[in-house]
Amino acid sequence: MIRYPALEHPVTIGIIGATVAALLVAFAIIGAMQLTNRGTPALRRELWLRTGSWCLLLPLMMGPVLLGREWVIGAVTLLGLACLREFDRATGLFREPLVTAIVVLGILAANFAALDHWYGFFVALWPLTVGVIVIGTIPRDRPEGYIQRTALGIFAYMLFGAGLAHLSYMANEPNYRPILLMLLATVALSDVAAFTVGKLIGGPKLLPATSPNKSISGALGALTVTTIIVAALSAVIFRGTPMAQPHWLIAFGLIVGIGAQAGDLMLSSIKRDIGIKDMGTILPGHGGVLDRFNSLLLVAPASFHFIGYFVGFGLDQPTRLITGGP
Amino acid sequence: MKFTLRPARDHGLDTGDRLRSLSRERGLGSIMLGNAWRALVRVYLATWHRLEVTGRENLPEPPFVLIANHTSHLDALTLSGVLRGQAARHAHALAAGDTFFGSTLSSVFAAYAVNALPVWRKRTRAGELATLRERLVEDRLAYILFPEGTRARDGVMGRFQPGIGVMVAGTAVPVVPSYLDGAHAAWPPHRGFPAPGKLRLAIGAPLVFTEAPATRAGWEDVAARCEAAVRRLAPGQRSP
Repeated sequence: MIRYPALEHPVTIGIIGATVAALLVAFAIIGAMQLTNRGTPALRRELWLRTGSWCLLLPLMMGPVLLGREWVIGAVTLLGLACLREFDRATGLFREPLVTAIVVLGILAANFAALDHWYGFFVALWPLTVGVIVIGTIPRDRPEGYIQRTALGIFAYMLFGAGLAHLSYMANEPNYRPILLMLLATVALSDVAAFTVGKLIGGPKLLPATSPNKSISGALGALTVTTIIVAALSAVIFRGTPMAQPHWLIAFGLIVGIGAQAGDLMLSSIKRDIGIKDMGTILPGHGGVLDRFNSLLLVAPASFHFIGYFVGFGLDQPTRLITGGP
Repeated sequence: MKFTLRPARDHGLDTGDRLRSLSRERGLGSIMLGNAWRALVRVYLATWHRLEVTGRENLPEPPFVLIANHTSHLDALTLSGVLRGQAARHAHALAAGDTFFGSTLSSVFAAYAVNALPVWRKRTRAGELATLRERLVEDRLAYILFPEGTRARDGVMGRFQPGIGVMVAGTAVPVVPSYLDGAHAAWPPHRGFPAPGKLRLAIGAPLVFTEAPATRAGWEDVAARCEAAVRRLAPGQRSP
């Protein structure tokens, strides 16, 4: 498998440079707010916490991308398992350890398929794992609660196994770094843009019962910013491919922008339905891992298949690296 | 059991608080670690102490409270080691907070391997006992409890505290008495490590206190009846 140097692509260097610069600017702004006593203490504290958490999160997110393909797949596997843990403890699925165990195996298998670079298995795992979840608890002869535990198991596998593992599979493309970094950076930027534009402009709420803090202005602002940045970066990354046409680039930007916000609203709906504020406590200022990575859940498969339609991932690379075979 | 869309009782707690929380509910990781730990304990008890168990058929499906005399750290290991299946997965040993939950490392071990819940000697609040009682019934748990409250330094069984009464009086949750013989000789409180020695665990018929009143007198009566049931299982006391 062809391996490129970590900082080979200009977009990779640009995103890392911009991220470091953004963090420095954020610290400078919050520091200035502190010195001039602008904003409420609660808002300043939240901003400090959020920015501090980013300092820990960004190396954890970007480090594996720079280190190499296997690191990406390892990190996505751990991310999937961490998300599953928060999801099962929030929904009560953890009280069904057999279903949880099947979902864990499904997450491991999906990421193994990516590591093996075996697309046939990667695709087959979706119906296969669902089949195992559906059948798994029948021999216990305990039909009460069957629909709930099975549905939650499938939901969890779809999001944290089949869905997130698309990020792992992307790493089979030798030039995966700028693509992954673009997705990681822009979905994070989408959150920041929605928060900032919403605070600056305000106006009517987007879906007050689902997420009372989100405004229509914030959503539109975030969608505009994300679409423009994704389209611009994609124009460089996919130069010379059939995807590098303005209408496709804008369509891709819209898919990432809408996917990011849809993922956020999906998690808000889950939390509202259960009646909790955050999915966990591990990231100060953000909540749980899922509270931070919800925007990636839908963007990962959507962007994989959009890029796959035009360009593909690792099509000229050797396949079935571990299992061998045809 | 009916499925309810309900977060873990310990949802929202920080890791350290969660380890020491009476609301801690175990997930897949804890169950797997607990299973591995119990397998090791069973091998250890079978080889090092040639554990002999009688009356295993008296163990019901959860919820129940398994009680015994308390002379050694081997007691909780033995009682948790003899449980199987659903009862083993739902079992919590009620352990002295100051001994087992003093440091983060010991808390991790007590929480994940032993699945212990902390009981703080001389400062257990009524609310904590109420939480334990509520969870016992609602979550269908199995508690491993030593009603004497502490290990008998001389190996002679002491009086049972009324806490067991608070836990079960007025409920249909059975209390299963048991007597462990040989633990004090193998690992008394003053010794650092256990010596090899035969252990014999006798498990008696369950007692139910549905009619027991939720009063001081009622709780003390429950404790006295539990104590008598455990004493009857001691060697030399058992009917042939």
